[in-house]
Amino acid sequence: MSPWLALSPLLVVGIGSLTVMMVDAFSNKKDDLSILSSAILIAAAAIAGSLWFGGLPPQTPEILAPYLAVDAMSQFFNITICGGAALCAMLAGGYLREHDLERGDFYSMLMLCAFGAMVLSSATDLVSVFIGLETMSLGVYCLVAFRRGSARAIEGAIKYFLLGSFAAAILLFGSALLYGATGHTDLLGIGQTIRNGNAELGLALVAMSMLVVGLAFKVSAVPFHMWTPDAYEGAITPATAFMSVVVKAAAFAVMLRVLITCFGDPLSAGAASGWPPIIAVVAVVTMIYGNIAAIYQSNIKRMLAYSSIAHAGYILIGVVAAFRVQNTAVSAVLYYLMAYTVSNVLAFGSLIVMGTRGKEAVTFDDLAGAGKRHPMAALPFIIGMLSLMGFPPTAGFFGKYYVFNAALQADSGMHWLVIIAVIASAIGAFYYLRVIVYLFMKDPETGAPQAVAMKSGYVVTALVLSAYFVLEMGITPSNYLKMALAAAAGLV
Amino acid sequence: MSIAAISFFFVCGAVAIASALITVTQNNPIRAAFSLLAHIIALAGLFIGLQGHFLAVIQLIIYAGVVVVLFIFTIMYIGPVPKPESAGRPSFAKLFSIAGMVVVTGAVTYAALGYSPALKGLNTCPEAVAECGQFGGVEAFSAALFRGGVVPFELISILLTVAVVGAIMVARGRLIYREKPRRKKQELSIENNR
Repeated sequence: MSPWLALSPLLVVGIGSLTVMMVDAFSNKKDDLSILSSAILIAAAAIAGSLWFGGLPPQTPEILAPYLAVDAMSQFFNITICGGAALCAMLAGGYLREHDLERGDFYSMLMLCAFGAMVLSSATDLVSVFIGLETMSLGVYCLVAFRRGSARAIEGAIKYFLLGSFAAAILLFGSALLYGATGHTDLLGIGQTIRNGNAELGLALVAMSMLVVGLAFKVSAVPFHMWTPDAYEGAITPATAFMSVVVKAAAFAVMLRVLITCFGDPLSAGAASGWPPIIAVVAVVTMIYGNIAAIYQSNIKRMLAYSSIAHAGYILIGVVAAFRVQNTAVSAVLYYLMAYTVSNVLAFGSLIVMGTRGKEAVTFDDLAGAGKRHPMAALPFIIGMLSLMGFPPTAGFFGKYYVFNAALQADSGMHWLVIIAVIASAIGAFYYLRVIVYLFMKDPETGAPQAVAMKSGYVVTALVLSAYFVLEMGITPSNYLKMALAAAAGLV
Repeated sequence: MSIAAISFFFVCGAVAIASALITVTQNNPIRAAFSLLAHIIALAGLFIGLQGHFLAVIQLIIYAGVVVVLFIFTIMYIGPVPKPESAGRPSFAKLFSIAGMVVVTGAVTYAALGYSPALKGLNTCPEAVAECGQFGGVEAFSAALFRGGVVPFELISILLTVAVVGAIMVARGRLIYREKPRRKKQELSIENNR
């Protein structure tokens, strides 16, 4: 396979973003950019799919080999990332016009971020990991700062930028130490050197913990979550959806690759040594903190931010389980990420559709009685909340089921982890159901601001598509699980 | 090593140490910046002694050409006001920095002695091998950059694009915001809603 063909999903997104930039410069109709960018992203997802099902090369083209993988897992993430980004571009098409924020550079930046996320999720070398991470992160900082006039947006962007820079520096330091310890920058070479016992083990362990810190920041695991609520609240809602979906998926992809490929040896991936205990503790703290903090939020976007922290905790359980039952656990994580992508787009999309300019749904009180006034706009909200809660038959239920199942298969010592996760998701049901209670069972106080639903074909399309996938992944999960299993098999 | 090479090393090393000391002890920032320039040029000389021709040129272009100019520009912008000589007992900052200097020097010396190639048996490059002369040269560098590492090299071009577009995007947002004062009202109503 020629390297051009192998790179084609990346090339389509990269060249597409430059095209969108040019169209923005020379055309006056800004709302068409939403269609253009989502069409390009969907095309890239389709190309990734046809590369995958049309037969991947047994060997990565030589020129790409150490830096980027062209395996089933990278195509899986290309599809998830491009699909999620396309849905966010559709949401933006409705949102930006409604709130008079229409600017074409949003779409090109969104696509450049998606490009960075695709590089990150297929990176097999510490150099390309860092480049992908920075491409994605720099773009996301700008997306958060998009609403320049708002103090909240700037506060969130500055916080995210400063903390993100520290996290990137720690990750880079860890990479440098890992190079010093093993003499390799490619993940496979590092893994082999450690397995053969040729590495300076103490240095490699320090490097591992630094890499874990840097990646835990990106997936917003406690205690590296401080930026999440502020950045999520400050960003415009389509950008928030993008952050919670694409950034998280790419960060988990690279976390799996680094931990399993580099540190897959028995010493650094044992039940009581190396990364599994660290990640298990982080997962427990993340689940408990995220769910409890979400209860106390009155702002819906902040509630969803803490909910995304809690979901990072559930996914981390799957990452821990990967040290023993690699295929089952990795496929569960991949399935969860795909389910989380569509559910979260649905939740944020419903939040967008529940507001017109000046009459946005910001707090729970704004939602009071909105379900009675706008039943059709409340329907996707219900499906999204039920899926995030993990209620059958939605995608979120099977996501949790597979992850917990993988943990139970992995090790008898992981039962307590699953018990805590189940308790945490029961706590989570409180704030997800609270949205539905406010929608249908509360009446607005007299004189209080009320959310008014918007009318936008773009947003409705995104909602219909994501609701379809949420329900289909919940009713016939086996097809998607097969996909995830095939993708997980590619990871060495 | 020939006598000329050894004396070149010692001259460059002496200049580098002396100018570094001047940089940190000068009160006049302009003089400090110029002795930093001398230090950078001496470092480039040391790189040449190590066969790192490309690195030496880069050192001159980036550090001497860009960074020092930026420093001087900033100093000029703020105004070169020399700090008055402090009389009396030395300040805490001065003592602290001298202590730091001693610690760092000690640590580096210890590390250099502990990890010297002769002791650890690291592979050093004997001059007889052809590739060793190449290492750090322009040809070897460009071969690594454009043949082996062409993928990350091209990916960095997208990273730079993101940085430039993002900077313009954030800066332009403020201009648009100024042009449309009516948006302020909407912001306020959203803030009130919270």
